[in-house]
Amino acid sequence: MKLVAQREALLDPLQAVVGVVERRQTMPILANILISARSDRVSFTATDLEVELVASTNMSVEQEGEITVPGRKLLDIVKALPEGVDVVFQLSGEKVTVRAGRSRFTLSTLPATEFPVVEDVHAQQTVTLPQGALKRLLEKTHFAMAQQDVRYYLNGLLLEIAGPSVRAVATDGHRLALCEAAVEGADASPQQVILPRKGVLELQRLISESGDVTLAIGTNHLRAELGDIRFTSKLIDGRFPDYERVIPAEAAEPVVADREDLRRSLYRTAILSNEKYRGIRLELKAGGLTMQAHNPEQEEAEEEVEVGYAGDEIEIGFNVNYLMDALSALESEQIHLMIRDPNSSCLIKDPETDECKYVVMPMRL
Amino acid sequence: MTEFLPHAAPRPRCVLHVDMDAFYASVEQRDDPTLAGRPVLVGGRPPRGVVAAASYEARRFGVRSAMPMREALARCPDAVVVRPRMDHYQSVSRDVFAVFRRLTPDVEGLSLDEAFLELTALPELADDPRVTALGIKDAIRAATGLTASVGAGPNKLVAKIASDLEKPDGLVVLFGAAIETTLARLPVRAIGGIGPKTSARLEAAGIFTLGELAAAPAGAVEPIFGRYAARMQGRALGLDDRPVEPRREAVSLSAEETFATDLDDPKALARELRPLAEKVAARLRRKHYVAGMVAVKIRQADFRTVTRQRSLTPASAESVALFEAAWGLVQTWITEHPGAKLRLLGITAGRLTAASQLSLFEAGEQRLDRVSDAIRERFGAGALMHGSDLGPGLEEDG
Repeated sequence: MKLVAQREALLDPLQAVVGVVERRQTMPILANILISARSDRVSFTATDLEVELVASTNMSVEQEGEITVPGRKLLDIVKALPEGVDVVFQLSGEKVTVRAGRSRFTLSTLPATEFPVVEDVHAQQTVTLPQGALKRLLEKTHFAMAQQDVRYYLNGLLLEIAGPSVRAVATDGHRLALCEAAVEGADASPQQVILPRKGVLELQRLISESGDVTLAIGTNHLRAELGDIRFTSKLIDGRFPDYERVIPAEAAEPVVADREDLRRSLYRTAILSNEKYRGIRLELKAGGLTMQAHNPEQEEAEEEVEVGYAGDEIEIGFNVNYLMDALSALESEQIHLMIRDPNSSCLIKDPETDECKYVVMPMRL
Repeated sequence: MTEFLPHAAPRPRCVLHVDMDAFYASVEQRDDPTLAGRPVLVGGRPPRGVVAAASYEARRFGVRSAMPMREALARCPDAVVVRPRMDHYQSVSRDVFAVFRRLTPDVEGLSLDEAFLELTALPELADDPRVTALGIKDAIRAATGLTASVGAGPNKLVAKIASDLEKPDGLVVLFGAAIETTLARLPVRAIGGIGPKTSARLEAAGIFTLGELAAAPAGAVEPIFGRYAARMQGRALGLDDRPVEPRREAVSLSAEETFATDLDDPKALARELRPLAEKVAARLRRKHYVAGMVAVKIRQADFRTVTRQRSLTPASAESVALFEAAWGLVQTWITEHPGAKLRLLGITAGRLTAASQLSLFEAGEQRLDRVSDAIRERFGAGALMHGSDLGPGLEEDG
């Protein structure tokens, strides 16, 4: 196998896939990138067994073949070469040599046949939607995913395809984020899949604002073709909790607040909240919202925010981060905050649309 | 700058360490006059039991706490073995701590029978620590009929060493130059953080006493203590700036059980572990804590003991979550040590935090825990048991 390419032509695909090369691999081959060269088309594949990325590019292939080499080392070498230089990549025996100008590197290899590749995702259905819409779905919900939770099905994002829409739902058991987008081809049959956390973050990195993306959904995998990059992620095999059950009905008396005002007040109050628990107290009465925080050093913060509210007086505690996350994800000028009592969940949304909903459970004061 | 004088010299610290003498055993001797003056061992009976406390009469025969009861009785065949009554000791302990809290709120309890008192802010008590300490000893004797040993010093380290110097019924006040000369003669194990393994390494390096440790060149102690070398040499001179932490929250909760016979059957081990996990989880819930870490203690028939731990995400106080995490650790260990016979399993819930965040999804398990807590509270710990613990016959009938 032998390829010749400009440094930049090599750098782009390497950078696109190296994110999934594991730093602490359980299998040595997962530190490697699979390079396959076939008639002037070269593909670079990286995987951590959960997410697989393949970047393909046109390149002058002098001799076809495939081999795996240490991914991060190859990237570091190519990155450090002078701009615009021609790079010759050649397999000889069990080593790969990389030559450029007066530099020469010899890298170890492992056989391509040992590299785990997902050939076919056995798609049961495909859904096409604008990349911008998918990007939005992920951006507006991903922060609520759990991390290393024993309830493994929460360490990911629920994608629910139902008729003409796709929903993204994420929850860590304390708060929940839900967002919806319309899709082309209303014939999609209802389906729920859970995309693992790592897959969500990688996919988010890859999608852009323009063009469409087609998601091919199989029993165990989800695949997306994004230009020269093919993204494949395993799906989490588990049942997502019945999230509709925990979304409260819209209360008769919402708190109407200026989103940015409220967010800034929360941000300032949060500075003196307990760093571990992040608890703040909200006191709600007609026309006004008072928030308070204090920390173990007995320092205190208090803010008053003008809000529209005509309901009963309520005192309720929250993890301030959860409220700020929701307010940052919303975009409207005004927001509705619906609070029933200090032990029930709170719904936060744009009063104009039901596209995105945020649910936050309170803290005991 | 007219008012600088009152702040010029910070008041020197004064810390007391109060340690009840052979607490459990003394309580038993107090309650049963026929035990007075006799060697008493509190703990489980042989062949399985371990000594939880030994009276001073028994200690003369070389009996120590944590020793297998069988060995203790071999050394001191005339000893009377008494089953521990933890609830009773707890109530006596409350009387002892009430004495401390009459003097100062700055009380850091280390266990039922041991506490630090910070007197620095109380000049009327700190100016003559000997008088204060005598007052505490008298008050404890009046309230409980028991004796305590007290050490006074400028910090926790010195106070603790001082309380140990003249046990039982001791009183040692150790300040100033006397600290260095007193500590210099003591074995290195006198300070916390130096156990049998470290002391063996120090002895191999020719360091037997705290005086030798303080004087040792950095090069000799760094390989043993790493980045803590300077701190440990300071401790050997009696330097310690750790505060007395009155409100220190429980760091962990644990429960353990020595089996009636050594066990190697995984099913039987799971049966022993489950109630321990339930007990610890119920205590967590009662205190409104959740645990971010679960550890198990595994003791083999030959007393070799290991602990294994893992984190629990999210932090939990659910019986099932604690049991599954702990059982996973035990199972892994069993797989690595096929055929090993165990005499004890213990479970510890650590990294405790307040359970203040409410959950969106209350799992069935949480509801079950709430109901079983209520039943056990009303009808006692034995009112409920797990179906799988009823034995194979019943299990199959389902």
